[in-house]
Parts: sequence; structure tokens; C-alpha cells
Amino acid sequence: MIIGGKSFVSSPPAFSNDAKKLLVSTGNTVSVYSTSTGLLMAELEGHKALVTSVVVVSASTPASKILCYCWTSSLDGTICYWDFSLPELMKKVDIRLPIVSMVIPNLLGPPVGENGKPVDLFAYISVEHVTKRDDEAKAFPGQIRKCNLTKSRLLGGVILAETQQPEAIIISPSKEFFGILNKRKLILWKVPDKDSENDVVKKIILHHTKSFTVLAFHPTQRIIAAGDVTGRILIWRGFGKRTFSRSVGSLSERTVESEEERPGVRGDDDAESCSTWHWHPAEVMVLSFSFDGAYLYSGGKEGVLVVWQLDTGKKKYLPRIGSPLLFFTASPDPSLLSISCADNAIHLLKMPSMEILNSIAGIKLPCSFPDTYQGLYGGVVFNQTAGLVAIRTEDYRIQFYSLFDDREVSQVRICERNHQPDDDITLVVTLLALSVDGSKMGTVEVKLPEEGIGGLVCLKFWASGSRSGDFTLSTVIYEPHSDAGISALAFHPTRHMAVSSSYRGDFKIWICNDDLQQKDQVLQKSGWRCHSVGSYKKKPMTAAAFSADGSVLAVAAGTVVTLWDPDRNILVAVIGETFMPIVSLSFVGNSEYLVSISRGSEPQLSVWSMSKLSVSWSYKLHVEAVACMTDASSFAVLALLPKSSKRLASDENRQSRKDGVILLFNVESPIPLSTWSVNKAKAGGLAFLQVNPSLLDRKISDEKAPQALLAYINSDHEYVVFDPYNGEDHKIRKNRLENLVPQDETGHFGYTSIYGELQEFDIRRDQTTEVPYAPSEKLWETIFSGSSHILPPLTKLCSTFLESLLEKRPAIQE
Amino acid sequence: MDTSRTINLGEVSLHLRSGQIRFFGVAVAMDSPVIAFGRKTQLCVLEKRKTEEPPRWESFCSRTLGPSSLSTMSSPNIRDLLTSFSHSLDFLAISSGDGRIKIWDTWKGQVQTEFADITSSIPGDLYTKPESGHLSVDYTCMKWLHLEKKRKREAGFSLLVLGTGSGDILALDVSAGQLKWRVSDCHPGGVNAIASSPHTLCVYTAGADGMVCQIDSMTGNLLGKFRASTKAISSISVAPDGRTLATAAGQLKVFDSADNKKIQKFSGHPGAVRCMIFTEDGKYVLSSAVGERYIAVWRVDGNKKKSASAVLAMEHPSVYLDCKYGDNKGTEDVSLYVLAISEVGCCYFWYGRNIEELHNVKPTKISLSIDRQLSKNHKDALPTIFAAKLQCIVKPSSGQVFVAYGSLVKPTFDKITVQHGLDVKLNTSPNGVLLPLIQTYKSKKVLGAQTEVTALDRSNAEDALLPVPKISDFLDKKRKERHPSRDPDRVMTHDLVDIQREVKRVGSKDDQETVELDSATICIEDRLRSLGVLTSEEDLTRDGYPLNVNSTRNSSIFSDAHFEANITQKKIKASVLSMTSADAYKLLTFLVNMWKSRSGSGKYVLPWICSILVNHNCYVISQEPDNQMLSSLYKMAESRSVAIRPLLQLCGRLQLIIAQIDKAVVTGTQILPNDQQLDESEDLDVSLFEFRVVLVHPSQVNQI
Repeated sequence: MIIGGKSFVSSPPAFSNDAKKLLVSTGNTVSVYSTSTGLLMAELEGHKALVTSVVVVSASTPASKILCYCWTSSLDGTICYWDFSLPELMKKVDIRLPIVSMVIPNLLGPPVGENGKPVDLFAYISVEHVTKRDDEAKAFPGQIRKCNLTKSRLLGGVILAETQQPEAIIISPSKEFFGILNKRKLILWKVPDKDSENDVVKKIILHHTKSFTVLAFHPTQRIIAAGDVTGRILIWRGFGKRTFSRSVGSLSERTVESEEERPGVRGDDDAESCSTWHWHPAEVMVLSFSFDGAYLYSGGKEGVLVVWQLDTGKKKYLPRIGSPLLFFTASPDPSLLSISCADNAIHLLKMPSMEILNSIAGIKLPCSFPDTYQGLYGGVVFNQTAGLVAIRTEDYRIQFYSLFDDREVSQVRICERNHQPDDDITLVVTLLALSVDGSKMGTVEVKLPEEGIGGLVCLKFWASGSRSGDFTLSTVIYEPHSDAGISALAFHPTRHMAVSSSYRGDFKIWICNDDLQQKDQVLQKSGWRCHSVGSYKKKPMTAAAFSADGSVLAVAAGTVVTLWDPDRNILVAVIGETFMPIVSLSFVGNSEYLVSISRGSEPQLSVWSMSKLSVSWSYKLHVEAVACMTDASSFAVLALLPKSSKRLASDENRQSRKDGVILLFNVESPIPLSTWSVNKAKAGGLAFLQVNPSLLDRKISDEKAPQALLAYINSDHEYVVFDPYNGEDHKIRKNRLENLVPQDETGHFGYTSIYGELQEFDIRRDQTTEVPYAPSEKLWETIFSGSSHILPPLTKLCSTFLESLLEKRPAIQE
Repeated sequence: MDTSRTINLGEVSLHLRSGQIRFFGVAVAMDSPVIAFGRKTQLCVLEKRKTEEPPRWESFCSRTLGPSSLSTMSSPNIRDLLTSFSHSLDFLAISSGDGRIKIWDTWKGQVQTEFADITSSIPGDLYTKPESGHLSVDYTCMKWLHLEKKRKREAGFSLLVLGTGSGDILALDVSAGQLKWRVSDCHPGGVNAIASSPHTLCVYTAGADGMVCQIDSMTGNLLGKFRASTKAISSISVAPDGRTLATAAGQLKVFDSADNKKIQKFSGHPGAVRCMIFTEDGKYVLSSAVGERYIAVWRVDGNKKKSASAVLAMEHPSVYLDCKYGDNKGTEDVSLYVLAISEVGCCYFWYGRNIEELHNVKPTKISLSIDRQLSKNHKDALPTIFAAKLQCIVKPSSGQVFVAYGSLVKPTFDKITVQHGLDVKLNTSPNGVLLPLIQTYKSKKVLGAQTEVTALDRSNAEDALLPVPKISDFLDKKRKERHPSRDPDRVMTHDLVDIQREVKRVGSKDDQETVELDSATICIEDRLRSLGVLTSEEDLTRDGYPLNVNSTRNSSIFSDAHFEANITQKKIKASVLSMTSADAYKLLTFLVNMWKSRSGSGKYVLPWICSILVNHNCYVISQEPDNQMLSSLYKMAESRSVAIRPLLQLCGRLQLIIAQIDKAVVTGTQILPNDQQLDESEDLDVSLFEFRVVLVHPSQVNQI
């Protein structure tokens, strides 16, 4: 059971007091990295959902700098107190509301009040207040609330603000003020000097004509800076003098102040002046004052860190960061700061020279894509032997990421082209294929046409270098199928052969004549050549796959599957058909079965028998990915839960955003062997990984070696690798799987959520069977995902289950 | 440098704090406050700072020149290199003797981090003086410790323990990048070896003073100390279970680590032992000494027997040893896998099912294939294998080895599976090596050939071998296989490649001298003989089948002439359909024999055969088990189809030559009529005939 591929940039990181450690929230854990080496030192494990903020207890004296305490908040509704040097969980506060953001103003160690009594510690949290019933959707689910950490309770009735979305809270370095952004408003609060439960927190609101994106407080003066969606930076000076300095009830000063000239300040806003800077072409994502308040750092989508001199407005730049900036964190050490980038990397910068000292980088995050070209993307690809996953990055590269070691192996640059984060997307790497042994790679890139002119499809073949994940370009084929786009690319399992299929209705088999070159001394150009061209009734070819021994090539021509002899280019047979065009084909190991997937309005998962040339069985499921074992007759599919079932699903399930299910099948029978429900399944990937002997060596060897490991990667590129067969492992696995999932599971999921008809089903079961089990009490997931010997008899389960399936499609039943 | 002089070694070492630096040469410039010296593999330049009082020497620059540039060795040498893999093999620490430690990420092949001058990083340490840069530290041994996780939440943190030439022991927390602890002056005269076992939380160190120290690996507290030898200890090793401890100077001693009592003593190494390792069960010790070209295997059993159990020979002294056990199915004892790296950077791998067998086996070598050209110019930076570890045993007699090789500037990391008995050659890439100018031209050429990229454009399918798909019909398949080439013209081409005698009798106009001249042509007769279609007794004359032919001819309404004239398909079909099946079958037999015996030209015979097979297939198939005719027909057709390609090529070439002859308007009168024939016909008969003509008149061709 390996979990990895977490995002380092889901929330801002935090430095320890001596600036030697960086606390990064990575999924459900907080990872402690060394700033000098960039290596992982420790992990704080305890939260059950995404950790949303990390607050390090700041040191009041130089001696206490070595203290390593922090508070963390999470979407699971808890706030934890850690000693991260050991690391150890010290305290847990349960709020029971998903916390999106948290700030703690009075964090100077354990504060002592005037009378020697320890003063309570308060935190201001931004929570998502979810109502019980969703039909009366609440207009303002986002709330800013106050929480007493010492007494571990939420202060009742104190709701500072309500917003449509839960917003992040930003606190000033002096811990005097905090604020949130709410569309075109800034809402600022002043922390009461002596914080107690009853104190009224004063607030002011500043307005602007555009939506705000980011907010920063000056460390010493009453200056705030805010960025908006158009790239402007607004700086207010002397904000809140009127409201915050005045004691409650005295209104006399107001008239005096309003007569003063306040340049740039809108309406009745409480600030002395407001000035605007404009450099960024797109929205400002990062804004922070330097520790002495002389400079302002800003950054945005274009990947340039700009340093403004606050008094003059002069600029200095750190360009070519290569990815949009997301967060900026200053450390207690003025010469060290960190920036978090959208490509899942945290760069540690040395100031004032602004050079990158170290980078902490993880798996590349999925890149955004214009919606019209979304269909072009072929998903992630696995190298099953080496346990690598190949991920397309935004800057036209392929990242190879080791699933077992949770680290990057290499990056291959697919096309020679500079990437600027704010450029329009003109080129897309759409397809990626790896041969079974990982020695060959094929990529397809599409140059998007500008105003209908200049589109170009390009197929490239790569040969691996000395190391795994190291590839050199071997052949470029421009317009392999004339103008038509390539729908699929597949490699022959044993030989240097590949097939590409196009939407225009033909497929081409390519061979690599490496061997020829060795025979003849005459230098023949090594590279891939077209071997044969095939087509079937000019139908668009939508998917292609070789069988495990390579003797049969299956190409999907729309709704039918054509089987070819790849060597002689002979059409052997045609089988079909499905309702919608087939989008994916795969042979199941050495068995004689072929799995096809079609999507659209009539999604279908079909298993075809090659000996009978007919459908063996099929399901109406929207399948995202299929993984087949290389040497066994089982396969796993990643299916999306249908939308209709979401309505029926329980609140908890919907909140947890579980939208997919992994089903493990044996080709012989349509009854799944096991089931796991997962989140963010859309555009996810699935693969069986071969078990590496060296990997086993590292693990506990007394356990039986698993047949193969199943790897699932979700749309956020978080992945989990587990043994799908080991029943012993099941308990651990289930716990860990829940870690992947933001919400604690108590309701029903799996089949209930798909089909939602279990009431009737249960009653019938109770009447007909005498087997001592209570299905209504049991979770359906556990029924289907347990080992087979603890399951209720499948014969009984199956018939009713299939009936429930049939009831969904009455027309077909007739 | 006429203004410089070499000065006495001792004089300079007074200026430098650390006396343990080994100098190879020192140069001092007279008119500038700079001294330069070489040290191990490094050139250092020190600058005198006059501004401060007393004047201080500070490192001005230093450059590593490769493993052996300052020493006089011509072959690569990795003796002075310190390497250590981390527990999970994802990092490799390398120290090449300049006081810097580079941590390489073995996955990405990049430097993860570099430690220089770690001793001065702790403020308030009395022992470190500010002026001591990284050059003053001279590491002598390095060991990567993996501390077991005490708690689950704690990421297993790893320590890099280093011994220095001044006798200090330093422990570096690699992930934090900090000095974890330090034991100063633990071994006066220098630390020589560090050992640890995974099951105990302590490190054993040994040094020039002959003492062995036991140090708590978490805190750095000295737990115990005992004298193991009167001489300097050069190597130390702990059994994996932590119970026994071996030290070696020249003499190898095994101690019980609980009470530090000597268990056994082995003498046999003349010099200081450089590397030593326990087997996994602690029953054997493997050791190799400086200058020895073998590895000795000693059995630890408390016996008085003092000779080595096995000796593994290699070509150069070893610098690193690793060994693993594998399961022996069926037998009680376990097989042994040994891995060693020699000081010239070669890896040796032994496998034996038991210790006796190990003694006798030849090692499997893992070496680098070095480009001769390159190596001549880069004597100082020859690529070597400098670190390796036996990762696991894949199957009996083969193990997975993780190696780091190439140049120190840019090592390559690879997992290779070594099968015992099969030498492995690793390719090195010149990546990272600075190529001198002279070399660029040649190496570029080589690189260019390697990285040549084929580019195909829109017309990529033009040279496809099979541009048009075919449809395989299961019902038709059988018949098709019997007739892989139904085209009568094509089949006829086979007939042209014929045996002389045969064709003469038939009276073809083809002159068969051409066949003899064309050595590439496949002789059909031989081919048929080899397939057993023809037997040597069966002479290919028409006389061989006189009865058969006559009877068939008599019984059929067709005369022989029918099969030698060109009849249209329609007529053939009509006449075949008018026959009864039995008659047709007889005719088929006759025709096949005719074709086989060359009595009839395939051009005329094959349409008949085809037509009969199409129209009377049921009857023919029903007759088949008794009569092997169809199979022989199939074999024959197939063997002829093999010859078709070279013949077609030949035809094409001949036409080209003819066309050239035409252009040149040669006066040869004999050729002209033949040319005219050829213009009209693509028939191979003619072209072959033409070929003869061309060969008859080679002089004319040459004139062209």
C-alpha cells in the first residue's frame, strides 16, 4: 500500500522559527522538509482529510527559537497541535466543520494574563457550513468564526462574516489585523488587544470595482496591498484609523476626517489614501511585503516574481520561473523565502540575489486545457515493469514519476518550444504510449490551428537511453494520417512495431528497422517506417490494441471491432457492434478476451470472446480506464458513478466527492471480485504494476508476494498502489483509502450509491435466505470488496443484483 | 613558473592547521602571496590575507582534476574515492578527497546536495576554527547508517558517519543537512574504518591507534573502547546480527561484541586489509588487502584452522566487497553471491552453490566499454564503475546489481541484472565530460550518427510494404493457400527458371544459359527435391509418365495442344463445366503432372488447373486423402513463389539496361529484333532472353 503524488501547493507552506524547516501540507499529512537540503525529514500524520493550513507557534525570545510547535487545520473538521521535531501529536480540537483556513493571532507561546492566569488561545477559522438538506441550499455556506483552542470549542453565535464561498483568511505579520477577500470587497478585522470570548471584533470594509484575488498586510505600518483579477495592485495607507482607533460610541471625529482629502479612496472607505500599480497582465496571485516593509513582492500567472520598492514603485524581476506562482512565504530568516508554483514545486529563494537555492518538487499537476480540446487528451500512461507513470506537463514535457518511490525520475522534452505560463495554448501533446518493456515511447502532438489555418499533427517515436525514463527522439512523422487526428497509438508487445489509428478512417502500422542497420554495413537510416495501411469501410478508427502475443491487432472502427493480422495486413474478422463508438480496447492478458469501452449517451463496457467472436458480457457503465493483468485473466476498470445516482446518494457521500468506483473482474464472469470507491475518478488512470523483486526485498518478506499491484491515479495526480488480491491487507488498505478521501465514511456507498434500490432488495433477501447475516446493516462496499469467503453467496447476490440492473433499462429488457 | 619554487613539505604544513594532508607537490609564487599545492586528486591554491594580523591563508580556489591526474598512475584509480549508498539506494554519497561530500540522487542522476565545510556550521564549537575551510578536512572513511524507525510516524532518518584523518568522527544528518554529532580525537592518528550493523544502534570505529570504539549512533556518546591490535587497524566489520566483530590490520581478528573477547584469529594477509565484510549469517568473513589480487573467504567457527576457505582471484586489488545469500532448493546449504569492485573500476561477480564451488568459479565481469579515442584524450577522467551494491537475487545464479559508473562529474546510475557467466559491458556516454577542441570533430560525427532523427512527411505511406489491406475469408482460405499465386503470368515466371534438359525437350525458345549465369536464381529442381516433391529416381522427363499421360489423353476429349495454346478463361470454364467430376479430376492429375514435369508451360496449364479446382472442388477434396496431389501442387506452387521476387527484380534491371541500350542506339543488329519484342511485352521469357543477349555482348554495354 503506497500513497503518493500529493500536491505540495494546496496551501501556503510555513517555515519553522529557525528557518531550517519548511512545513508543507501534503494531502492528509504535513511534511517537514529541510530548507538546506530539500529532503524530507518527518511527516505529521493524523488528519483524515486535506490539511488546509499550518501555523507555526512563533518564538518570542531567541532561546525559544528551537521550539517546534505548530497548529494545523484540516477539512476533516479538526485542528491539531504538534511538536514537529519529534514528531508528535499533542492535542486535537474537533470543530466538526470543514476548515478551509485558520489564523491564530496571539501565538507567542503560552501567554500569561495580568493576574497570572493563562489566557485562552483563540483562532479565527473559515469554515464551510454545510446544512443537513441540500434542497434548501444555503446562500452563504462560507463562515468566518472564532474558536477557543484552549477550551477546544467553537464560540457559539460569533459569526464574523458569511460568504458564498469559504474564503482564506490572511493575517498581518504583526498579528494585529486579519482580513478576507469577498469579491469586490476587502473585509478587515482588528484583533482585540486582550482577546476574550466576549470581545467585539471591529471590522472595516474596503471597496474596489474589480474582484480581489490576493491581500497582504504591511509588517509595521497600516498599509495593505491587494491584487485584483486584472493585474492591478492597490495599496491603501492608513486604513482603519477611524474605526479601529476610536473607542466605541464616540462619533465626533467622523465629520472631521471625512473632510480631509483622501486620494483614491472609494466612497466612505476607512483609509487615508489609495494608489494603484499595474504591471501584471493577468490576475495577481501572490502579494507579500518584505520583512522590513520596504519592498512588496508580487507574482501571477505569467511566472515572474516582481519586487516593488514601496516608496518609489521601482521594480526588479525574477523571471523564468516557468510556472504560475501560487503562494509566497517569508521566513524568519530575512535571506530566505519560498514561492510555491502551480507545477507542484516549492522553490526556496535566497535574498536579495533572488537565486533559487533548492526546490522541492513532486508529481506534476494536471494542466488546464481549453475545453474544446479536452477530448484530445489521452490520459496518463504507465510503465508496468518499472512502476513508472508518465505524465504530460504544461511545458511540453513528459514527466516520469516512480510510483514506488514517490519521486520524479526524469523529464523528457517532447518538442523544442519555449513555454511561458501565460501564453495561449497553441500546441498540445495529446497521446502518449509506452511499449510493454518501456524501451519505446510514442507521442502525438497537435498544433492547434489559428483561425482554421496551420493545424499540424505530428507523431514522434522515441527510443530509451541508458536509464529508465531517459528517451531520445528517433523518428518524427509529420501529418501521419494527413490532416486527420490520431485517435490511438499502441505498441506491439514484443517487436518494434506500433499502430496509429486516425479519425479519418485508416490505421497505419509502423515498424522500426533497427535490425536492418546492424546487418548492412551501409548506413541505413534507422527509424520508423510505415509498414502497412488498413481501413475498414472508411469508418473512423477510434482505438487500437495488440494482443499479448502480438499476433492479433484489434482496431475499433466506430462501433465495431476489426481484427487484423498485423504482419500481413489481412482483415481476419469483424465483431460488433456497440451503441456508441468504442474509445478504448485492451486484450486481457493471455486470455482470449477483449475489453472495449464506449462512452457518450450509451456508455458500455463489453467483454468480447475471441473464440466465439461475440460479446461475452457487458455493462452499461461509464468507464474511465481499464487495466489488464499481463499474465492473468482478470482486469480492473475505473467507472464513474452515474449522475442520476448522485441524487440518490447520501449527503456524506456527495460531500466526500466520491465519484468513481474501481471494479475488479475476472473475464469469465460479470460479477466483480472486489470493489473500491474512489474520488476524483474523472480523467483518472488505472494500471497493474509488475511486482519488482527489489521492491519486495525492501518490504517485509514474510508475507506472500502479491501477484500484481494495482495503481490508481486520480485526476489530481494523487495515486495509490495496493495489492488487489490480498485479503489480509484489506483492513489496512481500507483505512488508507479513506485517507485519500476527504470525508470519513459512515453512510452507504459503492452499489447503493450507484443503483440506490437496495431497500426492496434487502427485504427480499431477508425473506428468502436463512444465512445468518444482515445485509441492511452491512456496508455494501464491504460486502463487495471483502474476500470471497466472507461474502454472502454470490448466486443469491448476483441474481438480485442483475435484476436491479435490468430494472434500470426497461426498454432493453423487453 | 620561473618565479616559483618548490618548498619543503613540512614547512607548508606548519601554515596549515591540519597535518594530515598528503601533499604531492607544492609550489609557491615568489612575488605574490599565493601557494598552490596538490593534494590527492585536487589542486588547491591558497592566498595569503595580509589585511589581518597574523596573516591567514585562505582557500583561493581549488579544482578537482579527476581521480589520478596528480599521481602518476595512468590507469583509472578509485582507491581514494569514498562512496556509500543510502539504505534504500536512492542516494549515493561521494567524497573524492577534497573535503566535500556530494549526495547524488540516483533516480534523477542529479546532485541532491553538497556538503562542504560542515564542521564550521555549528556555532560555538571550540574545536573548529574559522579559518579551516573544507580543505582542512580529510575524510578517510564514510558509512551511511540507516536508523530504524522507532516510532511509526517518524521518517527513517539516515546518518552519514565520516572518519577524518585527524581522528575525528562526524555524523551528518543528511536530510536536515546538519552535523548531528561529533567525536573529536577519537582515534589519534586517523580513523580508518567505520562499521555498523542494522540491528544495533551503535557504530564501531577503528583507527591508527589500534583501538576500537563503540559509539551510540543517536547521540554520539562513546559507549566503549578496547584495544584490538597493537598496530593500526585498517578495516572493521560487524556481522549483520551484531554479535561478532572483525577487525583487521594485517591480521584478521574476530571478536565477540558482547564482551570484546577474541574468538578467532586469521593471518594470511601480508598487507593492511582494505575491505572486509561478513556474510549475512556471520559465518564467513570476506577480506581483501592492499595490493592483493584476490579475496579471501574465512570461516568463523572458533576453530584453530587458520587457512582461508576459498580464494577468489581477480585482476586488480579490490576496493569494495558485497555479498548475499540465495536459496538453494533441495539442499541445506545456501548459495553465495559475491560482488567486488577493483581499484581500476571493474566489477566482479561470483556465484557458487556452496563455498567449495565458489572457490573454483570464474568471476563474471561488469566493465565499461570505453571508446578508445576518448580514453586516449581523457586519461585523467576515465569512466569507471565506482560504486555498486548487490540489491537482490532475482533467480539462482543471477543477481540484480545497482551500479554507479561513468565519470565522477556526471555518474550514471543503473540497475542491471547479472547472470553468472555472462560478462556485462556497460556503455558510457561522454555526457558531462569536457571534450578538448581536437576531439570535437570526431566525436560530433559519432554523436550525430547516434542521434539522427528520421523525419517523414505527409507521404509517409508511399513506401509502405502493404499499402492495401486484404480480407481473409475463412471459407476461401484453404483454397487460397493452395494457390498463393493464382496469376498465370506470375506462375509462369517460375517455369522460366528451369532445368536445361527439361526445357530443351519442351522446345521452348528460351535459352537456358542465362540461368546458369544468374547465380542468385534458386534452382527449382533442388528445391523440389528438398521438399520431397521430386525424388531423384523420378526423372523429370515426359517418359516418366508415359502410361499416365497417354491414358489421360485418350480418355479426355482434349488434346495436348489445348494446353499449349492460349485459350480464353471463358472457354476454359465452359469446357471444364462440361466435364464430369471424375473426368475433371483425371485431367487435373494430368495437368499437375504436366506442370510438375515441365512438359507444359505454366502459362497455359495453370488456368486449367485453377478452373478445375474452382468448379470441381468438392470432388477434388473428397479424393484428396488417397491422392497427395493437392499437397504436392501446393508445395510446388509455394516453392516457385519464393523465386518470383528475385526474378522480378532481375526483370526490372534488365529493362533498365535495355532502355539504356535503346537510347544509345547501338548498331548491333542482332539485338534489334529482340528489343522490339521486348517493347511490346512485359513477359519474362523475353526479358530473360534479352538478358542473354546482353551478356553475349558485354562489350557493347561497356561502350555505353
